[in-house]
Amino acid sequence: MKKLSVVVAGTGQIRDIEIQPGTTAGDVLNQLNLRDYLLSKGPNDPFFANADTLYDKVEGGEKIFASTKAEVGILVCA
Amino acid sequence: MRVTEIGTRLIQRGIRTLGALTGPRGSVEVIKRRELPYWQERGWVWQDGVYWGNYQTRFGSFQGFIEYRGQGDLRFYMFDPPREIRDGSHWACFQPRGRKGFLVHMATRPSDVSSGILTIERLITDAFENNT
Repeated sequence: MKKLSVVVAGTGQIRDIEIQPGTTAGDVLNQLNLRDYLLSKGPNDPFFANADTLYDKVEGGEKIFASTKAEVGILVCA
Repeated sequence: MRVTEIGTRLIQRGIRTLGALTGPRGSVEVIKRRELPYWQERGWVWQDGVYWGNYQTRFGSFQGFIEYRGQGDLRFYMFDPPREIRDGSHWACFQPRGRKGFLVHMATRPSDVSSGILTIERLITDAFENNT
């Protein structure tokens, strides 16, 4: 088991969770009822895909971020 | 069930002070972590409807501001985008706004200021990584 703190952008909440081996990012988002959010370690790291096994990619005690989906772009922009 | 939620706390304004946990013999000092919203943790300040601060990445910090126009309408600006962005595929998304610098156009608008800051910081990081 690993303990994590999930900082949820826009809500003013930190959710403390404990995950088992094999837990995916999607499992966490579903269980925390954050279906429109994405998880990441921060701005220097990519978002976790829902199917990514979060347990393998984080250390116990780590703080991760849940932020809403946003994308820079316009129609002519890649 | 793979995820166990241990608890939820509201983020406090300001930095929590040290707490102390005393044991039967001697004492252990518990250092409380900073519990701030992301935008505050990154040093942004809110003043008269505008957030002022820097988009921070490991490649540098870039000054900007964010206008809150009510009803979730947030406009993200950057004063002086780096060459890596100007040379990149997202440069068309930076619209010049005179003294305001550049408006960063969002195809998918973030629903909160922290998510928007994270998105732009990630864009800056990508631009630098793709130029190296």
